[in-house]
Amino acid sequence: MKQQRAFQRNLLVSWSGVIVVLVLWQLANTLRLVNPSVFPGPLQILDTALNRFPAADVLDHARISVQRVLFGFLIGGGLGMVTGILAGWYRLFGKLIWGPIEILRPVPPLAWIPIALMWFGLGEQSKVFIISLGAFFPVVTNTYKGMISVDPMLFRAAQSIGLRGPRLLAKIAVPAALPDIAVGIRVGWSLSFGSLVAAEVLAANRGLGYMIMYGREVGEVEVIVYGILLIGLLNLITDYLIFNLLFRRQLRWYFG
Amino acid sequence: MGKAIAIEHVTKRFNDEDERALALKDVTLHIAANEFVSIVGRSGCGKTTLLNMIAGFLQPSSGQVLIGGEPAGSPGPDRGMVFQHAALFPWLTAIQNIEFGPRNQGVPRKQRRAQAQDLIELVRLGGFERKYPRELSGGMQQRVAIARALANDPDILLMDEPFGALDELTRSEMQLELLRIWEARKKTVIFVTHSIMEALYLSDRVVVFSPHPGRLRAEITVTLPRPRQRSSHEFMALYEEIHRAIF
Amino acid sequence: MPSSSDATPRRAWIRRLRRTRLTIPDWAYGLLTVLVLLWLWEYAVDHAWINAYRFPPPSKLARTFEALLERGFPRGVTTDTHFKATLWRILKGYSVAAVCAIPLGLFVGATPLLERAVAPIITFARSVATLSLLPLAVAWFGVGEFTRVFLIAYGCFWIILTSAINAVQGVSKQYVFAAQSLGASRRQIFMQVMLPGSLPRIFAGLRVALGMAFLVIIAVEMIGTIEGLGALIMEARNFYRTDVTMVGMIFIAIIGFVLARTLAWLERILLPWVTDLEEVQR
Repeated sequence: MKQQRAFQRNLLVSWSGVIVVLVLWQLANTLRLVNPSVFPGPLQILDTALNRFPAADVLDHARISVQRVLFGFLIGGGLGMVTGILAGWYRLFGKLIWGPIEILRPVPPLAWIPIALMWFGLGEQSKVFIISLGAFFPVVTNTYKGMISVDPMLFRAAQSIGLRGPRLLAKIAVPAALPDIAVGIRVGWSLSFGSLVAAEVLAANRGLGYMIMYGREVGEVEVIVYGILLIGLLNLITDYLIFNLLFRRQLRWYFG
Repeated sequence: MGKAIAIEHVTKRFNDEDERALALKDVTLHIAANEFVSIVGRSGCGKTTLLNMIAGFLQPSSGQVLIGGEPAGSPGPDRGMVFQHAALFPWLTAIQNIEFGPRNQGVPRKQRRAQAQDLIELVRLGGFERKYPRELSGGMQQRVAIARALANDPDILLMDEPFGALDELTRSEMQLELLRIWEARKKTVIFVTHSIMEALYLSDRVVVFSPHPGRLRAEITVTLPRPRQRSSHEFMALYEEIHRAIF
Repeated sequence: MPSSSDATPRRAWIRRLRRTRLTIPDWAYGLLTVLVLLWLWEYAVDHAWINAYRFPPPSKLARTFEALLERGFPRGVTTDTHFKATLWRILKGYSVAAVCAIPLGLFVGATPLLERAVAPIITFARSVATLSLLPLAVAWFGVGEFTRVFLIAYGCFWIILTSAINAVQGVSKQYVFAAQSLGASRRQIFMQVMLPGSLPRIFAGLRVALGMAFLVIIAVEMIGTIEGLGALIMEARNFYRTDVTMVGMIFIAIIGFVLARTLAWLERILLPWVTDLEEVQR
């Protein structure tokens, strides 16, 4: 009973900030302190969300975006993980490929847009390419870092009970590097997501980024804001799913 | 000069009404000025809780803690504290750490620098004044921590397992050092430790606590002259007595 | 090992070779791969295995590099101008974000109730992809310098704010206890314990934010301007000059590398007491 009340009070505190912001924002609109067609209020955006677009259309845009980012992320992140693990396991290979990676790493994924357009044209391929670049570099660097900083005592302990070769890699090295890999995946996901939005805003005819651009072309700011909120929400949900559900559970031994 | 400490019927509970969850139950203990008292006992016997109450970090649920006849109140420069993991400020050099207290009490720069230099000599760290804590060994860090606690010229020195994280050799070296410092600057010392040997080697009196609930189990006065011989017959006999009191 | 007294000159020479082989630095291996790849690329273009327009060979890139430094691209805009424009925009947006976010974060972090109240707002604002704000910023402020700087500042602000809040909350309680027992007041504890104690994490946030600034600037320079490195690589595409785009990307890599190093150097100067300056990846 006491605990329940404390929980309710905590909930109230947590949401008080959001409520205050929403109320002030709406008041500024209702009192015409700002121009509602340039700075639409929460109610106006809610109205847009409920009446302006059929839910099916919005879901379709969201689905396209998620598909793109997932596809690009799996390619880039997968390649990054494999490269990082191999580079960490075969040290010579690691030293050899680290030069090119280190040179390309400071180039942000979006700087590849013009090249991608020239190589792959305006279609789906170039977007997936950009998105996969966003995932590749954080995953490969963190995986490599994790692999080379595994405590050598773990290897000695495993070897002394007879593990060697691929089993040593699969049972000891990779699990021990997993916390670092998880960090890479999380950073990679957020970078993939940011790249997706940029790619869709700059050139696309479907997806949430396109929805925002559409809003801009027809001059309806509330559509833009609606799209931004949707993208933010999608990012929040996917990050939560990846980090809390997947990693927290798998890496309980690390995060506690 | 040290001050006397009086702990009168102190009870400390952290949450429940459960008798066994009491951190301390009705503890009464009187410590004379300049006395060196050690508190030993198993984990959870409330020895650190008692120390934190004397320091002023915690308030008793009932009973009172008096220092020189005054209630202990909130933490202050009259009680110097030395923690298990030195807790030196990593962004300050050794001498800046020692100056931290006097600086915040408004002691003029020249004066506090001279005092700190004296303390550096007292704990034998000449030449290491400008090193950051990470550049010092564990034993050296504890020397700085002791000097820092002494810098406010407190009446009382509270030590919470200060040598617990040191290796055996450094530890016995630091015990000797502590006795020397205590001779040089008379203070009332309360020393919490897990080690019966350490308690016996250092103190005028060893207080034994037992857990669930935390209670005062026994008090053993040690009159052996210093420096004490750990292998002497009397020492071993006292060791046995304390050991029995704990188990 | 044989003792050095009986070593003939030849054996000494072999020993020296062995020793040097052991001390080949890691970057030499990396450089080797890079050179081999560049040579392969050149060779492949020479034999028309890959398209010289899509993959301009290193020799062509070298000439373009020179030409860009001399004449600039597009006509009339020097490379100097591009560098300055990009750097200046990053500097403005980044420093505005840092100046606002650090004090605010310190304050919020030190006020637990306030922190709980604003946590959901910060989490959501961080999740909003900065570049999705581009159309909105254009609708509000037009396609101009302000929009670009605003977006950089937005992206950096939330990262630095979060790191400052976490930094304050992450300062070990034992330092606070130690300061209390030494008689420091609340104000003194904030200024002399909480503030220096949170600097390392704030710097970590600043490093991540620099990566963000860099990501955003390249994208926002792709619209409505011909000055800046992002504009350079996009303009080059409009003129079908793959070589110029690639050299532009090299410029971007250089500037990114230099900025990151400068920040790391600054950190080492300002926080000499920090134990491990671990590299935080973007």
